[in-house]
Amino acid sequence: MFHLSEDYSKLGLKAGLELHVQLDTGKKLFCNCSTKMKEKQPIEIVERKLHPVASELGTVDQAAQFEFLKGRTFYYQAFKGESCLVDLDEEPIHPLNSEALTVALQVSLLFNCKIPSEIQVMRKTVIDGSNTSGFQRTAVVGLNGYLEFRGKNVPISQISLEEDACAIIGEEDGRVMYKLNRLGVPLVEVSTGLLVGYTPEEIQEIAYMIGITCRSTGKMKHGIGSIRQDMNVSITKGARVEIKGVQELGIMAKIVEGEVKRQMIEKAKEETRTVLPDGNTKYMRPLPGASRMYPETDIPPVPVNTKYLAEIKKSLPEPLTKKLQRFEKELKLSQQLAKEILRSDYVEVFEKVKGVEPSIVASTFTNVVKDLERSGVEISNITDENFMDLFNNLAERKIAKEAIPDILRMLAENNTKKISEVAKKLGFTTLTHAELDKIIRETVKPDMPFNKAIGIVMSKVRGKADAQTVIKAVKKFLATSA
Amino acid sequence: MYSAQIEKFLKAKKISIGDRVKVGQYEGILMPRIELGDTSSLVIKLDNGYNIGVKFDKSMKKVKTEWRVEKPQAKTGVTKIVFDKKLPTISIIGTGGTIASKVDYKTGGTSASFLAEDIAKQVPDLKEIANIRAWQIMEMASEDMVPDTWVEIAKAVAEEINQGSKGIIVTHGTDTLHYTAAALSFLLKDLPVPVAVVGSQRSSDRGSSDTVQNVSCAANFVANSDVAEVCTVLHGSVNDDFCFAIRGTKSRKMHTSRRDAFKAVNDAPIAKIWWQDKRIEILNSYKKRNDKKVLVDGKIETKVALVKFFVGMDPDVLDFYKKYKGIVIEGTGLGHVATRSKLSLIPKIGKMIKAGIPVVMTSQTIYGRTHPSVYRNLRTLSELGVIFVEDMLPETAYIKLMHILPKARNVEDVKKLMQTNMVGEITERTEVVSSE
Ligand SMILES: [Zn+2]
Repeated sequence: MFHLSEDYSKLGLKAGLELHVQLDTGKKLFCNCSTKMKEKQPIEIVERKLHPVASELGTVDQAAQFEFLKGRTFYYQAFKGESCLVDLDEEPIHPLNSEALTVALQVSLLFNCKIPSEIQVMRKTVIDGSNTSGFQRTAVVGLNGYLEFRGKNVPISQISLEEDACAIIGEEDGRVMYKLNRLGVPLVEVSTGLLVGYTPEEIQEIAYMIGITCRSTGKMKHGIGSIRQDMNVSITKGARVEIKGVQELGIMAKIVEGEVKRQMIEKAKEETRTVLPDGNTKYMRPLPGASRMYPETDIPPVPVNTKYLAEIKKSLPEPLTKKLQRFEKELKLSQQLAKEILRSDYVEVFEKVKGVEPSIVASTFTNVVKDLERSGVEISNITDENFMDLFNNLAERKIAKEAIPDILRMLAENNTKKISEVAKKLGFTTLTHAELDKIIRETVKPDMPFNKAIGIVMSKVRGKADAQTVIKAVKKFLATSA
Repeated sequence: MYSAQIEKFLKAKKISIGDRVKVGQYEGILMPRIELGDTSSLVIKLDNGYNIGVKFDKSMKKVKTEWRVEKPQAKTGVTKIVFDKKLPTISIIGTGGTIASKVDYKTGGTSASFLAEDIAKQVPDLKEIANIRAWQIMEMASEDMVPDTWVEIAKAVAEEINQGSKGIIVTHGTDTLHYTAAALSFLLKDLPVPVAVVGSQRSSDRGSSDTVQNVSCAANFVANSDVAEVCTVLHGSVNDDFCFAIRGTKSRKMHTSRRDAFKAVNDAPIAKIWWQDKRIEILNSYKKRNDKKVLVDGKIETKVALVKFFVGMDPDVLDFYKKYKGIVIEGTGLGHVATRSKLSLIPKIGKMIKAGIPVVMTSQTIYGRTHPSVYRNLRTLSELGVIFVEDMLPETAYIKLMHILPKARNVEDVKKLMQTNMVGEITERTEVVSSE
């Protein structure tokens, strides 16, 4: 057994991160399809082959590539409204989505990057079929920036705007099935420079900070698969190994630790590895190089003039990393809760709520929502207005916080959209003091132990009065009637 | 090309495309600017392969030479490639277009390349089908072609056939591919072997290019089928599964970008050619291979026009064609033009016919057959002497008129020849399901 409480800098741990975040733009990067990815039933399945291309001749073993592709047939599921002839490689791309470019430039500025005077879209050869064209389109939108982290500047080497690839459904006997609707969804890729002198936990923390910095724009998608992380890890006696497709931030530190251990035991060579569900990695393919890139000539380069850039700078959102500090200091949220609310879909509405304990609001948007989702409640049916209504009712003490889960569940499942109506239906309207006192008088005997009395009253009034009020009233009753 | 200011600076500092340069805080390889974008912005390739635009700055310095721009070498004459003596030999004649273009992966620029080795590399299953004679006769975007180009291509095809090729592939840009296919159908007399006109809708630099399947299916078709006709051979669906061989006079590009853009109009495709298992399914009647010697009838009258009638058309437009030797009109529906309104074309058409200029009627509906007498307006036209040409495509009618004019002695002759099927351009009947 290795004990890696030892100094990671002594082992020479170096890492690089690449985060891919899906943008929540109305349309895809190079066509006018929706980016919602909501459709379930494909309307068409198209069969395709890919061929070895000249860009790789001489640099990659062409025979091997030919053999690989010869044995493979790709099937693409098309979805209504979410995939078109552009996605199917049957129509030239449309101009670069300007909404996506603006968001990507915002991200670049949030990371203090230099912006090229002209954005040039490149084609990066990809032969696994995940792009119908055989390449992925990608463009540099920022270079040589940094992220402030614990008093140091973490180097951010590049921000790119690129098209997401098809999601794979399955593979059997060389027949690979893909979904076309994710293809072309805009992604922002953030690449760090070499991270030296950080522990695996710090590397995970940096990844989190990068993620929420992107989220500061309010234009990032949420949910599973909306952020994907690649990293490369090496130690002095190992080699640079790329690890692809980490979807869960929480296991990053563990993956880095695992890779360090692996490199200490095995003789590592430069390669790409993919993450297994347990956080271990397996070999994927050789490292790609610059030779896979050539210019996209179907659309002209996009100039970034000073006026456009000035407008973006003027409307730059507050970085969520600043918000994180503010939430902890001013709103007295625990670090855990502050981080979770920033990672959730609800930062904006969270900040709008007035007159309610911030930790109650934050835990509603994180823990309560997560629990409900896990039990199958369609949370997306609840609008921001519903949430505001809910917290207004809570602020005015018309409902108790204990009633929140049941109210939200009913809200998601029914057409009633007014909180007061939902609360009434559920019998969750708050009791007046007189009503509460009446219940206490009827159920509590003067000689009852305090805890027992509280238990009885709470079971009677659950959801109609909050615990603090009940405790106060019971205390008063016991004190006066004894 | 960069702006004059930058070009001058580069020349003075002896900096060339392909040099590693430093501009401000950026370092990378100076790239050429291809056609698009801001010519006063430099294009720099970073070490990770990305290109970015960088504001020009006089502090720009050369670091070292990374690579030099190589001028693509034009190849002339026939290149032969023999895979296996037992296989038949076919010819691939290159004319240009997307299918024959090669991408320079450094710059993204495209150039013509038609070496037999390149084709063989790109279409690996050729080695199981045929030995190849490759010949680049021109490098032309298909929209730039002129009627004389067809004659030039026909002569090259005849030359290859007469030296013994078992079948011919003509690679071609797709935009006017059906014009060339129709022209070759008329110009090549006594055709003894299959001729496939082939293009691609997705350029060959893509892993997804349709070139591979189209050339493979065409090679199989011309090497192994018994069909001695000129056909277009391209994708039959959006899948990579089969190609259709469509009679040259009945084929038309019906989509701007899909790979199955070419459709058999008013006719069934001659054959369905399965790519992977190389099966050829015959779907229509055809002329068989024979031992005749092919001849090129290269005499064409180029003073012919194809005119589309549209609502609101000023009849004076036709005055321009008074000096022409014949016109084909794309009428509406069954073959109408304005007849009774104040914008009636009848007086002008009557004058042209009287002056001995044949006027041929086709339909802008593309699908279906014209008719000379269903409606009164149609009868007016046909009584004037307008030549209705059944279900012939407008472009085919235009080419056929060019082809027969030098042979016809009078308008009556023109009418007879235009209304007589020569190479499948007119069908007698239309099958209920023809092209699906
Ligand atoms: Zn689309």
